Amino acid sequence: MDDRAEMLGPEKAGRETAFSRPFADTAPAVAPAVGRRRGRGWMERSEVRSLYLLAAFLVAAYALPFVIGIRYGTVRWDAEWLGYLGTVVLSGFLQGGVYAMFAVGLTMIFGVMRIINAAHGEWVMMGAYLTWAAFFYLGVDPLLSLVFTLPIAFVFGMVVQKLLLNAVVGQPELTGLLVTFGLGLTMIYVAELIFTTDFRTIPYAPHSVQITDSIAVSQNKLISFTMALAISVGVYFLLKLTRIGKAIRATALNAEVAMVCGVNVGLIYLITTGIAASLAVAGGALVSIQFGFNPETGIIYTLQAFTIIILGGRGHYLGALIGGFMLAVLESLVSLMIPNGTAMVELAAYGLLIAVLLIRPGGLMGVKEG
Amino acid sequence: MTQCVLRAVAALMALLVLVPAGRAEDRPKNEVLVGGAISQTGRFAEPAGRQVNAIKMWVDQVNSRGGLLGRKINLVLLDDKSDTQTAVKLYEKLITEDKVDVLLAPYSSAITEAVANINERYKMPFVAYGAASSPIWEKGRKYIFSIVAIAEDYQKGAVHLAKQIGVKRIAIIGEDSLFPRQSGIGAKQWADKLGLQVVLQENYPQKQTDFTALLQKIKAAGAEAIMSNSYFADAAAQVRQMRELNLYFKLFSGTVGPGLPQFAEQLGDSAEYILGFSQWEPLPDILKHPGMKEFIAEYEKRYGEKPNYHAGGTYGALQVTEAALKQAGSFDSQKLRDALASIETTTVFGRYKVNDKGMNDHEGLTFQILKGERRVVFPEQWAETKAKLPIPEWSKR
Repeated sequence: MDDRAEMLGPEKAGRETAFSRPFADTAPAVAPAVGRRRGRGWMERSEVRSLYLLAAFLVAAYALPFVIGIRYGTVRWDAEWLGYLGTVVLSGFLQGGVYAMFAVGLTMIFGVMRIINAAHGEWVMMGAYLTWAAFFYLGVDPLLSLVFTLPIAFVFGMVVQKLLLNAVVGQPELTGLLVTFGLGLTMIYVAELIFTTDFRTIPYAPHSVQITDSIAVSQNKLISFTMALAISVGVYFLLKLTRIGKAIRATALNAEVAMVCGVNVGLIYLITTGIAASLAVAGGALVSIQFGFNPETGIIYTLQAFTIIILGGRGHYLGALIGGFMLAVLESLVSLMIPNGTAMVELAAYGLLIAVLLIRPGGLMGVKEG
Repeated sequence: MTQCVLRAVAALMALLVLVPAGRAEDRPKNEVLVGGAISQTGRFAEPAGRQVNAIKMWVDQVNSRGGLLGRKINLVLLDDKSDTQTAVKLYEKLITEDKVDVLLAPYSSAITEAVANINERYKMPFVAYGAASSPIWEKGRKYIFSIVAIAEDYQKGAVHLAKQIGVKRIAIIGEDSLFPRQSGIGAKQWADKLGLQVVLQENYPQKQTDFTALLQKIKAAGAEAIMSNSYFADAAAQVRQMRELNLYFKLFSGTVGPGLPQFAEQLGDSAEYILGFSQWEPLPDILKHPGMKEFIAEYEKRYGEKPNYHAGGTYGALQVTEAALKQAGSFDSQKLRDALASIETTTVFGRYKVNDKGMNDHEGLTFQILKGERRVVFPEQWAETKAKLPIPEWSKR
């Protein structure tokens, strides 16, 4: 049902919710359950079919670089070449972990409030600059600086929620998109005023880690991945095991029912955006020790996070993780094997995004019903 | 009521038209307005900043010796934020609103290419000290003149050195924009001429920061040397990631990045042995151009560092402009254009005499970063030292 509502656009989707609301009001426990059970048989068959279709498409998408590579002779199957392939896939995988971590923030805000945060990449960029400033002005180790950048990000997220997002919760998705888009632009120009548009880098862990004779990854990628994994697992358990996590999930499932059950939904919104901002800023810190950045690099990360959550399924925690790995590995394969492939990485990423939207708008895991 | 509103709007529009014109009229008679837009922030800020230094120094020097044709220079230097569209808007503004008398050039080939159309439209000339891509001069333009060596020759020295150390297969990579593409084309031509095989030639998007896969691909293609047609951020990322991935190449040559002091500073010893191209170096004893010693001393006094080629080329272009204005005898832009097209002069940067396309024939230098310093290694008549190639392996450094 939700999938179709998504495809029909915000107006129709709005009507759908308005229609179902009276049911929820009068018999919140029964009506949705009945509706869902009745719909399930029909949903399942088309869901399963679209999942197979998507899986088939993804296999084709991953096979394509190999096919083109064989056609142009960039693919060789000797041990040396497999070493390069291994390095690239491993690097992509490690990168994917970091992408996934900040995409989780985007998916949380969407899952809980149905707001698409177009400023997410700028939050990542903010994280990179906070880390850079701490490193150059205070001499703090980039990983250690997370100790105080994360609380700053959490408060920042809560302030954004209080001042901007609370006003657009429950409104059509376009409103939230526009508000956050404006926030993103504001942040870019503020960053340009403070830091100028110069490229910054943080020299950190410049050596390589030899995994096997032919596979090596960079130290800072490995460090970033480990941190991202630790933070992601932490957030996962926070959501699964703690009372706050349960309240967040309940709110995501149905804000009104959660409210009836005594959850302070307003507070949950604040905490959700706080966590999401912290994840983005942590992502920024981990990106900043690997790559150069300037105020305009945020947009790359917004687009990446979008692609990831659409691939994985909006509102899904695990989906974002899987999506992150899949996107980063595909990017690496395209770049490695297709002639002039580095220029085609973005084409591949957004081609994937469009294909997923066409084949299975809900992504791998499907959109969670709100 | 409607009429009243209409009248108010008309009055407002008249005001808008009159105000800028008024500003130009108000200018003191003994001043000359010299202006341009240059990338003071953004990805070009590093090279363009040194051009700004040279411009400011020249303006002060000219003013202290009585100005241009007896008029004091009033300098207007705007910031295009390294963005082509912004630059185009600012040049329109400089010419139509501020009504500058003498136009200064922007930085980078892409921006110069776009701005050159405005030069043509308003018939205002400049000497383009920030552009080295030959297609700019192959469109029959009459109001733009070059001073620096063309992009196609940026990798000339590096390809020659690769040949000398017995490299057979090279990779040519570069950012996907006008100037890097041109220097890539030139590198390919030189490689063909010298019999080196180009096993990979690839451009990457401007915002590329992760070169892991590209570097692996280069290695997989069997390249022994990389000719990277890049700016600062991408060249630095490539060298950094080569080390992080423990990928070894016998030779790595960047175009713009290694020439900037920031390159060696940010990369530390990873920058060692990297080749770069320089239009010019502050070496008066080797190059022997007139006025070099004084220029270098003055620049060093003001900015605490020796001028690099961006500063030298800009200063040279301004010397040419000054000489051309003297020959023209007025600030009339048509006369200035004709003077720039015909004049022959030698500046701190070298000889200036353009062909009928407006291009100057300038010979550049290839250097190597050795112990954090740039040392000229090509062409031989100007070489300070012999190139230390092939680069030692990462593990032996």
